[in-house]
Amino acid sequence: MADSAGAPRPSSSVKLVLLGEAAVGKSSLVLRFVNNDFQENKEPTIGAAFLTQKCNLPTRTIKFEIWDTAGQERFASLAPMYYRNAQAALVVYDLTKPTSLIKAKHWVAELQRQASPGIVIALVGNKLDLTNASAAAAAGGNSEDEDEEGESGGVSGGGDESGDARKVSTDEAKTYAEEESLLFFETSAKTGHNVSEVFTAIANAIPETSLKSTRGPGASNAVSRGGDEQRVNLTGPRGDAAKDSCAC
Amino acid sequence: MFNISNLVQKAQSAAQQLIDPMQGLNLTNSDRNPAKSTLFQHQFRLPSSQTPLYEIPAELTIPPSNVTQGDKGGDRGWHYAGKLHLSEAYMCFSTTPSSFVSTASTSTSSAFTGQTHGGGPSGNGFTFPLCAIRRVERLNSQSFQFALAITTWNGIPQDATKDKDAQKDKSQMREQRITIQLAGTRHACERFCDGLKKGLRGGVGNVGKLKKVVAECYSEYLLRPEDKKSVNPPDAGLGMMFKYPGDPKKLRDRAKMRLWAEYLRDNGRNATIIRQPTFHKLIRVGLPNRLRGEMWELTSGSMYLRLENPTLYTDTLAKFSGKESLAIDEIEKDLNRSLPEYPGFQSEEGIGRLRRVLTAYSWVNPEVGYCQAMNIVVAALLIYISESQAFFLLSALCDRLVPGYYSTTMYGTLLDQKVFESLVEKTMPVLWEHLVKADVQLSVVSLPWFLSLYINSMPLVFAFRVLDVFFVEGPKVLFQVGLAILRINGEELLDATDDGAFISVLKGYFSRLDESAHPKSENPKLRAINRFQELMVVAFKEFSGITHSTITDLRLKNKDAVLNNIENFAKRTAIRNLGPDSKLLSPEELGAVYDRFYTILYERQQRDQNIQEEKLRRAKTARPSAASAFSDHQDHGVEKGRVGLGPSTSLMDYDAFREFLAAMSKWAIADSPASPRRDQFPDKDQYFSGFRKSSNNLLSPWGSRPEPAEHEFMQRLFRRWDVDSTSTLTLQNVVTGLAQIKGRRDIMGTITYFFELYDDDGDGKVDREGILRISEALLFLSRRGLEGSLSASSSNPSLSTLTDVNGPMSPSIGGTMNERFLGSVSAFIRRCFEYADPDHPSNHVEDATKAAPSKTTESDESQTPDDSAFAIGDDEDEEDEEDLLAFDGPKETPEESPKESPSAAKKKAALPSNPPALGKPDAGNEMSRSVSKAHSEKANVALDPSNPLHMTLPTFRMVVLADELLEQFFESSFPTSLHVTEGLPSANPSTPSLTTFSSFGRSAANSLPIPQAAASGATRGLRGVLDNIVTDASRVAAEVRRRMEEAQRELEQNAVPGQRDEEEDEDDDIRVPKSAGGYGGDAERRSVRSSDLDLLDGADAEAGASKGQEGSSQSILKPTEATSSQSGAANTPTQRIVEFEG
Repeated sequence: MADSAGAPRPSSSVKLVLLGEAAVGKSSLVLRFVNNDFQENKEPTIGAAFLTQKCNLPTRTIKFEIWDTAGQERFASLAPMYYRNAQAALVVYDLTKPTSLIKAKHWVAELQRQASPGIVIALVGNKLDLTNASAAAAAGGNSEDEDEEGESGGVSGGGDESGDARKVSTDEAKTYAEEESLLFFETSAKTGHNVSEVFTAIANAIPETSLKSTRGPGASNAVSRGGDEQRVNLTGPRGDAAKDSCAC
Repeated sequence: MFNISNLVQKAQSAAQQLIDPMQGLNLTNSDRNPAKSTLFQHQFRLPSSQTPLYEIPAELTIPPSNVTQGDKGGDRGWHYAGKLHLSEAYMCFSTTPSSFVSTASTSTSSAFTGQTHGGGPSGNGFTFPLCAIRRVERLNSQSFQFALAITTWNGIPQDATKDKDAQKDKSQMREQRITIQLAGTRHACERFCDGLKKGLRGGVGNVGKLKKVVAECYSEYLLRPEDKKSVNPPDAGLGMMFKYPGDPKKLRDRAKMRLWAEYLRDNGRNATIIRQPTFHKLIRVGLPNRLRGEMWELTSGSMYLRLENPTLYTDTLAKFSGKESLAIDEIEKDLNRSLPEYPGFQSEEGIGRLRRVLTAYSWVNPEVGYCQAMNIVVAALLIYISESQAFFLLSALCDRLVPGYYSTTMYGTLLDQKVFESLVEKTMPVLWEHLVKADVQLSVVSLPWFLSLYINSMPLVFAFRVLDVFFVEGPKVLFQVGLAILRINGEELLDATDDGAFISVLKGYFSRLDESAHPKSENPKLRAINRFQELMVVAFKEFSGITHSTITDLRLKNKDAVLNNIENFAKRTAIRNLGPDSKLLSPEELGAVYDRFYTILYERQQRDQNIQEEKLRRAKTARPSAASAFSDHQDHGVEKGRVGLGPSTSLMDYDAFREFLAAMSKWAIADSPASPRRDQFPDKDQYFSGFRKSSNNLLSPWGSRPEPAEHEFMQRLFRRWDVDSTSTLTLQNVVTGLAQIKGRRDIMGTITYFFELYDDDGDGKVDREGILRISEALLFLSRRGLEGSLSASSSNPSLSTLTDVNGPMSPSIGGTMNERFLGSVSAFIRRCFEYADPDHPSNHVEDATKAAPSKTTESDESQTPDDSAFAIGDDEDEEDEEDLLAFDGPKETPEESPKESPSAAKKKAALPSNPPALGKPDAGNEMSRSVSKAHSEKANVALDPSNPLHMTLPTFRMVVLADELLEQFFESSFPTSLHVTEGLPSANPSTPSLTTFSSFGRSAANSLPIPQAAASGATRGLRGVLDNIVTDASRVAAEVRRRMEEAQRELEQNAVPGQRDEEEDEDDDIRVPKSAGGYGGDAERRSVRSSDLDLLDGADAEAGASKGQEGSSQSILKPTEATSSQSGAANTPTQRIVEFEG
């Protein structure tokens, strides 16, 4: 975590909120990002959980204050409490559950209207390890393992025979993400595939201007470093670089 | 959202209270002024079936053998002075001051003391189910008139009478025998004893039930003599199999168990336990593992729920076995992640129990279903109690201890967060200020505490200690503990400047709860006190001022704001998620539709409830003696009626749909007070039959709203909108339905829509019957005039000729418009039949040749009867005039605008004197004549049922477009006639009350003189006649022919008088407004619009008035139905009372 490069990079904190249907793997994504860990049976989040993690970019350090919210429908009315002042949001759906994408769209709409203007939203399709694509995409060798992962807790057994439980095509979600100008990723919290990339991309997408106004000790350090930060790399292969830069 | 808005809200609420303390608070009656039975049930944690029947001051004497502490020296035992209460199935004693009889005022009932302040069993005393009492003897006593010795079934084993061992047990066992001396007048004592006798007799049958319930209690096993312990102990939770959490040594479980065994031996066990000071102390130090569940069950009162229906749990599981639901899906997701660190929940056994309890509860309380956090709470409970005990304990939790926490909107949770925040502000102002400054939201931290009852915040052993107290003393414990946590960590929290730091301080604290609170202290005793003990001391000593009533008051104060927040969120979300059709409507329109939708549903629900309550009240007054036994049950049902309280209703049935339309559209308001009219719509498919029955109420089902019309068109519309054929509409259905009409704004779309409404089988053809029905619908929709932009009409040549005929008198233009529309419709029918395709092509030519001459002859004559047909004294006509005049010439408006009131007044005056003769029936006749005229045109040719024919959409389109007025109707009048955004209830709140008032006056004035014939006569309005005509095609032909001849005869004789009538009416109308002043000469369209609204209001009032009339006429019509439960004499007055309330 500690900055190994000589001069301390400016650090600033970013409030990030996770939203999405129940049991899509929100908490598992966070757990993977924060502790590089995965738990089969994670307790459902009650209200919201709070975690922090730093993400080192070439020019600065972003300290994520992560609000991981409860997914069950009736908790939705609590959500404004958590996404208030958020600069970034991760809207998560389950690749194997089409309804979860609908719910994700609702969340995107809610954020676009109710959250702080300029909020960076990333759409994340989780549970890539349950799909065929995972074999090619995931670096880890255990992606063939069909155990249900994360919060799925026994809901998505359907794909076992075909070996591909994917129900939401990449194109469909990607098209939607482009329409709404969202960052888009498909991840697996179980294998860790693409997880840190999501957070790095968000860190890069946070406009410098909004960092200046953040609270916390890092805020004052956030000096402008040119247009570098404005560059948003949606699809670029960040791979190892991201893994290095992110303290996870 | 919570911090800053909190301040704003506080300011607002403060301002509100300056004006009127209760204004703005949408509180139900039971909130502000809880029923005595509610207080009683809360105090003793009794099921909602129990009501306080008798109470009497009394002294409880526990014989020396039963005394564990206190005045052991005295051989008279231990005395407690308090009050003895009797309900249907319980006898309760408490030293806590309380009074629940109906004569006591609420204030005395709420003046509680004791640990629970009326929120639970407090003080010393007992709560005996009457079936647990074995014997009651009256003793001779010197100091008191009445002394009762009560012997209970305590400790008598189930099979007591069977074997000899039991006899031996009995002799070993001390019978539980207590003495109660009643202090009261002789009369009061006797009454109490009579009640007790009755109750005991009723309780006899439940002794078996009690024994079954008690058998599941661990105390029975614990107190069993050693030689009989071979029997399996009752299920005391998963802990018996998987160990209880924590180190039993450290928890001093053995010592606690010994103390409890001693206490139970002396003071009775489970259902027959007597509370003495030790009881509360023993609970505060923590319950022993194996008795924990039983004590929870006892103190929360869930044991009494189990006693009431011991097999409910297994029955529910059996009943719904194999069924699926959304809740079950949600439960399945969480089963593997509920207290996963406890070994019991890594096993199929534990998970199976959890699944069954949660599932069973989701079935018995579908409104709550399943909420995350319930899994954690139930999992925790299951460590100590059996499945069925957990099931009832969960009920007690959700219904009474933490109401609304797990509901679909979680309003209880949010409300208690607000309450907690205000308590923090009050008790720790410095910390609060810091939180506000640092912009830290307290509820972010505290919400999980409350929602999962500290179970996943603290280590389990400590969380259970909190639960121990919580189940006795109620929800205030959650607040006390929460405040204590903040107080103890105050210093560190003041250093935390953001949410993250705040949370980590508390996380750290919870993880060190077992450490010494004073590690550096010299005093070993002080050193031994751990942080949790410190927490308990702070919670219950320092915050002892936080009482049940503190919480109740604060909940009351914040309730409205919280509900509003939830509702705003729900509205926003609902509207946003309405799907693509909703884009056709503007955001304002969507908001308005949402409000209208739920307002109607809510109001209807309220009305139903009022009606129910009224029925109950009537039943009560009819049988005053027995009444108290059944009263007040309503108060305990889940609160309903606000979106924020959960989806009590979100489906609109047909009657609600009619009301919904009537609130938006003039044409959907009934013009005659007529429920019986429904009978004139014989419906073959039974689709609407259910609704009719339901609305056939003794009391007005419409409340203060105008009675909606009933028309076949509305039924078709409903069916069209009801895409899922559920006989109910969702908000989505309504929005989609409206969007299709209002959203398109293109004439072709509307024409197609209309056509499809009448194309029953979807084959693109509408038959003769359909054509007639369309024309009928057109007349129905236009009978109060046409709205929308009809400006083009001035260029209509036919209009100019008509105005010429009528002379320069401009007011008649309005009449003309209707006449013209009638003409259009009649032309429509004619053309329809003319261009319709015959089902049998052979007939076609013949038809065509026949049609041609008849058309030419008719068209000449058709004008004159039409003129007189539509305009007779029907005040609805004037509305139309205005619309037209607004365009034709502003200078006409002053004369027209306030017309409604005089004409309404005129009608009012006219109706009582000679109700059936004037107004509508006449108009109806005229109308039908004109229609029959129209019919007659094609009667010659097309109405012959032997010539089946049909019309296709292109034909329909052509026919509509052929007529300018019809074209305008489809282009703008029809879509415009649905006023979505205008005149929302909130905008003119005065309307309902005004209407109520007038309706009350009306009903009082007219209730008696109106004869039955009047009501039925009035109902047979124009549409009634029309309907009759249309229902039977062959009869139509005959009827039409007959009427055509009649009409022609009349035309020759009476055409001129008819005209005169109309003019007289209009003269009347013109005169009055002039004297009334009216509007400015250059009134713009907008102002006319607003006067339009006034008209609507006027119409409301009128409909309300007629509603009053309806109520009374109904009471005459259906005396048998009304009086089924009570005497006929009581009928009319009571009805009037309700109308007044409505």
